[in-house]
Amino acid sequence: MTRKRPLAALAIPIFAFVLFPAVGSALAETVPQPISFSHKIHVTEYQLNCRFCHSSANKSQYANLPSVAKCMSCHRSIATDKPEVKKLAQYWKEKKPIPWNKVIDLPNHVYFPHRKMVNAGIPCLTCHPGMDQAGTAVQKLEFGMGMCMECHRKKKVTIDCTKCHY
Amino acid sequence: MLDRRQFLKLGGATAFATLFAGCDKAQKKLIPFVIPPENYILGEALWYASACGQCPAGCGIVVRVSEGRAKKIEGNPLHPVNRGKLCARGQAALQALYHPERLGQPLKLSGARGAGSYTPVSWEEALSLLMGQLKKVKAEAPSSLLMLTDPMRGHGGLVAGRFMKAFGSPHRVAWEPLAPDAMLSAHEAVYGVRDLPEHDLAGTRYVLSFSGDFLETGLSPVHYAGAYGRMRGDRATIRGKFVHFGPRLSMTAASADLFLPCAPGTEGFVALGLAHVMVRDKLTPQAAAAGHLMGEGLSAYTPEAVEKRTGVHTHEVTGVAREFAGNQPGVAIAGTAAATCGNGAFQCAAVALLNVLAGNAGKPGGVSFPNRAQSFAKYGAEIPLLAPPPETGYAAVRIAAEKMRTGAFRMAILAGATNPAFTLPPAVKFAEALSKVPFVVAFASFLDETSSLADLVLPVPTSLESWGDDAAPSGHAGAVTLCQPVVEPFRDAKAMPDVLLAAARELGGEPAKALPWGSMKECLEKAYGGPGGAMDKALQNGGFFGDASGSRPAPKAGKPSLPKAAAPSFEGDPKAFPLVLHLYPSMALYDGRGANLPWLQEMPDPVSTAVWRNWVEVNPKTAGTLGLSEGDGVTVASPSGKIPAHVVFNPGVAPDVVAMPLGQGHTRFGKFANGRGENPMTLIPAGEGYALQATRVTLAKTKLSTTLARTGNPEGQWKVKNMM
Repeated sequence: MTRKRPLAALAIPIFAFVLFPAVGSALAETVPQPISFSHKIHVTEYQLNCRFCHSSANKSQYANLPSVAKCMSCHRSIATDKPEVKKLAQYWKEKKPIPWNKVIDLPNHVYFPHRKMVNAGIPCLTCHPGMDQAGTAVQKLEFGMGMCMECHRKKKVTIDCTKCHY
Repeated sequence: MLDRRQFLKLGGATAFATLFAGCDKAQKKLIPFVIPPENYILGEALWYASACGQCPAGCGIVVRVSEGRAKKIEGNPLHPVNRGKLCARGQAALQALYHPERLGQPLKLSGARGAGSYTPVSWEEALSLLMGQLKKVKAEAPSSLLMLTDPMRGHGGLVAGRFMKAFGSPHRVAWEPLAPDAMLSAHEAVYGVRDLPEHDLAGTRYVLSFSGDFLETGLSPVHYAGAYGRMRGDRATIRGKFVHFGPRLSMTAASADLFLPCAPGTEGFVALGLAHVMVRDKLTPQAAAAGHLMGEGLSAYTPEAVEKRTGVHTHEVTGVAREFAGNQPGVAIAGTAAATCGNGAFQCAAVALLNVLAGNAGKPGGVSFPNRAQSFAKYGAEIPLLAPPPETGYAAVRIAAEKMRTGAFRMAILAGATNPAFTLPPAVKFAEALSKVPFVVAFASFLDETSSLADLVLPVPTSLESWGDDAAPSGHAGAVTLCQPVVEPFRDAKAMPDVLLAAARELGGEPAKALPWGSMKECLEKAYGGPGGAMDKALQNGGFFGDASGSRPAPKAGKPSLPKAAAPSFEGDPKAFPLVLHLYPSMALYDGRGANLPWLQEMPDPVSTAVWRNWVEVNPKTAGTLGLSEGDGVTVASPSGKIPAHVVFNPGVAPDVVAMPLGQGHTRFGKFANGRGENPMTLIPAGEGYALQATRVTLAKTKLSTTLARTGNPEGQWKVKNMM
């Protein structure tokens, strides 16, 4: 006997609609930011090294964001008439931190030490492709375990579980 | 129509959808610093060495700092006092740093003096008010300025001392409630050295403690606890033996091999009994050569006579004396309770006599006197400003209070954690006397019973945010600990030495000449060769620890003499007040300065297991005759005052003694300290000396609206009711 299941069929799109944004948003388009900073201008046009701003990338687990003071060390005198730099100057004047929105995030239960990668000579653009051409930060790769494993196997470095999951 | 199956399917799907909708990620923020702290690396912790300021022991600490915030305090492994360990009070300094009630702005009195109502003002306004008063007093009557602080050690003390001298006032008074004055005068009489001893506990074979609670409070608890551990377990074939005499089973007494209870104020007589046996039986060469002591009156202290007086059995006096003499090097330690009796100087001298008879003075495993002042030798006559004798200054505070009443002072500067309005017996009437001083300025991190009596309160940074140096009283042998800010000051605070230096500059003339430094930091850099000099390395290590074997003053040689025996005096008629009150410093709250830190409030006392309130320890036999049971409310009354407390049974308290911890009973020390019982100092008379064992009391059953929370409750569970 065949049975009609119209309502069950309706449930599936509801389920997918609610669930998938949570999974898929990792690769979403540009995240709005308080200042529309341009990586392209700094990295490609002015040839600044990534670590000029993300200075702890070779010293710590995290690649930090620059402090307002660090931005102002150049922008006290450079491009002070640009509207976005004026926003920066306003934060500095009020001595308030810039509340950036987080763009790049790792899945739970994994540790990723930037320091190890940077000191092993892996270029930043390997994991952050297109950042040199981007405006505010974008995430173009999904940081799944497969991506890590592929590279680790290719370079014949450790694939011990406990290296990243501890 | 929905059938049952369809209904369930749709219901399940909807439930799933609702559930997963909750998982949609909220936008996370990344907030970098405006101005990053020095040496900051995101995600990496930095450890800074400094000095602990939570009690006068002067331990070295290392503080874990990440993202510019202090996260954890540990002992500095390189530091000679605490060798990498730290007590609960030291750990709790973090809570002082982040305390919600910390003062962050100068406060100006806005109501009647003593009412405690203040208006926040700017530093400019506060400093101009301070300078206005200082200039006026300097011009009209400079000697009418009083400075009452804790015994500031190191260059902070130098700045304060020089400021007062150059200002033209001799009235610099230091107050420290639990400093062992009696021990100093006893050592001067017996050894010819007016200083605190260094007991080589780690190297000794036999320890006699006379109410010496050296593992919990005492001179330097972390130092002594570490050395005690080495005495017990660090040597292959020797395990040091520990015998404790005293009226109460404290945590230290509970660690002893043998606890021999004796009546309060009779520890000195027990010591004379032991000395009697040593001399009579010629148990050591030194005792054999001290036969003249019998003629001086030692012959009267036979074990039988001592048993009658102290309650320690004859065979125990004889046995312990023989063991002590036969297990040298041994050491005898007099503790706070023995020293804070009316006859404290006698008791400490009698204990010191045992060390002389054992021949251990100046020897490894015995008693010696490190030259604490040697690091400050270049200051010559000013050394006592940097390494002050660790005296209470009780006499000086009493005299100062008298002078306040007669109007001798026009201005008073108060500073330090010792809180005289709380730690002095109320009978001294300190608060009333202070109200006669026309202008009072207090340097404080918190409003407490003392700082809330001021006209102007200036916020100071905590010890984790300040520059300074320190010479610890014990276990330190001439080393200097450096104190550096481990974090940027959290509040808009200025250190007292910095304010005094600025004031001296503005006053000009003599004060400006005496204090040529721009700041405390500059003063230290000039003194210790920094930056770029020796100070850089010392800041990393935590100080200049140098050579511990440096020169030490030799204890007096020659014939020992018998200390003049004195009976303890207790206020009150024994019939009306049958019990002797034994007050002891709290392991958590010390003299009360830790009471505003919840970590310390919630730390169970090791003997009573009580938290958040004070209590009275009663022998169960005594309680039985008074009809009291565990947890009952009683009124503890002495001729000087009465306070309510909860009964805690302690079979290790002598039947005619009741014991209470110090530290609770605050009224103006913030929400964590206020209203947790009453201050036991209320019971103490304003005697000639600062005596904690000074009065008799009586207990009367009373109904209290509170209960005592204990981790080891007789009912086997937490009594949480009324804890908060």
